Amino acid sequence: MDALIEKLKGQIIEQLNLAEVKPEEINPDSPLFGEGLGLDSIDALELIVLLEKHYGIKIQDPKDGKTIFQSLRTMAEYIKAQGKS
Amino acid sequence: MTKAYISGTGCISPQNSIDGEWFFDTINPAKGDFFDALEPSYKEYIAPNLLRRMGRAIKMGVAAANLAINQAEAKKVDAIITGTGLGCFEDSERFLLAMLDNDEQFLTPTSFIQSTHNTVGSQIALIMKCHDYNFTYVHRGFSFESTLQDAMMLFEEGKDTILVGGIEEHTPNFVILNRRAGKFQNQNTAIPIWKSTTEGIQMSEGASFFVLDKIKTEKSLARVDGIQTLYKPKTSQDILMKLHAFLKLHELSLADVDVTLMGFSGDVVFDEKLKELLPIIEKESTAASFKHLCGEYHTASAFAMWVATKLIEKQKLPKTVAISDKTPSKIKHVLIINQYLGINYSFTLLSQC
Repeated sequence: MDALIEKLKGQIIEQLNLAEVKPEEINPDSPLFGEGLGLDSIDALELIVLLEKHYGIKIQDPKDGKTIFQSLRTMAEYIKAQGKS
Repeated sequence: MTKAYISGTGCISPQNSIDGEWFFDTINPAKGDFFDALEPSYKEYIAPNLLRRMGRAIKMGVAAANLAINQAEAKKVDAIITGTGLGCFEDSERFLLAMLDNDEQFLTPTSFIQSTHNTVGSQIALIMKCHDYNFTYVHRGFSFESTLQDAMMLFEEGKDTILVGGIEEHTPNFVILNRRAGKFQNQNTAIPIWKSTTEGIQMSEGASFFVLDKIKTEKSLARVDGIQTLYKPKTSQDILMKLHAFLKLHELSLADVDVTLMGFSGDVVFDEKLKELLPIIEKESTAASFKHLCGEYHTASAFAMWVATKLIEKQKLPKTVAISDKTPSKIKHVLIINQYLGINYSFTLLSQC
């Protein structure tokens, strides 16, 4: 799980162009939206594309996004649960 | 006739124009056959959370607009009007390349959202919380001129303060493709741009913004008296005839114009008509050039207006800008005669206020 979280950190920084953020600064349990990384709705779309592109996971119901993208850890857990890690 | 008073300017160009103290003393030459804009550290002008999504055209535009607004100390503007020939080219390219590379799959929204021509104007509006008139002109070599014409008409309709600007960016692919198409040339720096005998231009980029007021204030730097565009004039005599009529409209003759900034691009074909006009301009006025400083792009006339404002403000014509050997005793009226690819010609008249 830790290795997947580290991998996700790098992918998120690259996809969202978070040039100012270092991987070690991202707390895996902090919220991705609002507080924490302070992402917004456009970033949510970028994260959906990231999951599809890198892990072959398509989110069918947009309502699921709220739970999946709660934090880096919930994202990693979802990827693992889909057997795509 | 409506006039516009310039109360703030901001300019990002291949020169050190972002520095308010710079006055054409040290000149950066082109990088071979093209110019790159000298970009500042954008963190000083744009919040990091906004910056991460912006392409270079947006960053240049927002930073130049920021400089102009700060100089004018404008708390709000009634309209934002931008002009660009190619728009946010970097994001357009990024989006299209992603379509090709990923076989039209996994397309991300950011570069698509940021790729539209009006992104610069809309970003400035979002930052300024300006919900008023917002328009972007994409009229090739008349893009910036159109912003001025629109601003003049809006003043007649009752607007008081308007932000106008011209923005252009290039990308490595854009430079490679144009070079392959034979559009560029390595200018021999020993030969002034207005004496070039070969074809090809030095493509460039930049952003110049102006805060315009309907009435003169203590902040006013110069006045825009008028603007006229000419599409594909047949001969230099046609241009001269229109120029005399344009100046007459403002109760001036060519002899009243202290400095004439001419848009020589270095391409012997595109510059042909301006070359024919040069002896007449030199006889009556004092000729000067600006594209050896900023290169050629669709909205280079915005850079020319920034130069004209500086000349009026400082009351001095630096040798690095002048074509003529003459030194004007005063700079009351500055005329810009621009041409883009020998197709789009324009006159812009600025005066001391």
